[in-house]
Amino acid sequence: MLRVSHYLNQFFAGLGAEQAANRPPETREGFVGPGRVLQALLRDQGQVVSTMVCGDSFFAERTDEARRAVRAWLEAVRPGLVVAGPAFAAGRYGMACAEVCRIADELKIPAVTGMHRENPGLLAYRKAYVIPAADSAVGMQPALSAMVTLGLKLVSGAPIGPAETEGYLPRGVRRPGMRGRPGAERAVEMLVAKLSGRPFRTEMPVDAYEAVPPAPPVTDLRRARIALVTTGAIVPRGNPDHLKRCSETRWARYSIVGVQALTPDDYECVHGGFYNEMASHNPNLVVPLDVMRDLQREGVIGELLDTYYVTTGNDQRLADCRRNGREIAADLRSANVNGVLLVAT
Amino acid sequence: MAVISALPPLAMQAGANRVVQGVKIEHVCGDPSLPSDADKALRRRLVEQALRALGRDVEAPTLVDIA
Repeated sequence: MLRVSHYLNQFFAGLGAEQAANRPPETREGFVGPGRVLQALLRDQGQVVSTMVCGDSFFAERTDEARRAVRAWLEAVRPGLVVAGPAFAAGRYGMACAEVCRIADELKIPAVTGMHRENPGLLAYRKAYVIPAADSAVGMQPALSAMVTLGLKLVSGAPIGPAETEGYLPRGVRRPGMRGRPGAERAVEMLVAKLSGRPFRTEMPVDAYEAVPPAPPVTDLRRARIALVTTGAIVPRGNPDHLKRCSETRWARYSIVGVQALTPDDYECVHGGFYNEMASHNPNLVVPLDVMRDLQREGVIGELLDTYYVTTGNDQRLADCRRNGREIAADLRSANVNGVLLVAT
Repeated sequence: MAVISALPPLAMQAGANRVVQGVKIEHVCGDPSLPSDADKALRRRLVEQALRALGRDVEAPTLVDIA
């Protein structure tokens, strides 16, 4: 009999809402709360043998501790399948479910979760198998049903098809394969369909941008701490962190303590999306440190942060852009920065 | 935050709220074909403009064009 482990947050385990969100992880034998539905869907194909319950705030704030508890739990129970959530649109719960899937993967245990498409947990572990769920618990039954179907297929070892046929959310995995007809024919067909108002299906979906609420204005520059950020891939010469020329997923930050201007002896541009010789020859064209130092000396700005932030804005996936932006913003905030100049190449 | 970009429409489409027109993609903050003093003076004007943009109250993506 397939042994199934189920992860739930405090709310779905019936321990309470926010007032119980700091509850540390605990395990229960058998199923809890929506685990009853999970067990009914599994019928005689599996048994929910153990449930872990953890408060959402606990998982979000003491993530390392929570991860260790999840790992210890799975190592003790040794299930054949891990089911997490579904988390619907709950962000912290979604992050926790994604982490549970990550740990299960590390232990080579098939895992499946469910989330609303806009749950930020989707970005926490892209390789998770996530069934799209409604934004609230009214979607419990259909989400769990699809999770069970996919979970049993993962357990069976049968090859898993692409997201659109198996019904999970895209994991950013591309596999080479052959289509029946060449790309040019398919593209022309799509174009003709588009021009004549017929429906067509793109093979290259483009992520949508979102509106960003503007930050309040900086009222007094002379007291402000300003930071420099760029997507222009200006790095210390030799590119110590191997920032990529394109399709970068990360960002980096470099100290400019005591540096008055960026010289070609010490810095270079590794951006692969434009002719970068001029920026390598004078990196201030992208990170205008020479001018910022003058303005700092003259008291026009209060202070310049002694670190600049950089990524390569070239063919970067929107999901990575968002995460990089969030992470850099959090770093700037913790450095008490009041204003940012971002140079986009 | 103020964004200095050679392609303000793209920056604004992506949601940047305070955008300043830069020079060119390859040299957003300056012009290497100018003598170095003039290049630096141009860079300073752009940076000052971006700093002024930081002080602007905006409600949506805006090309801030204040000399």
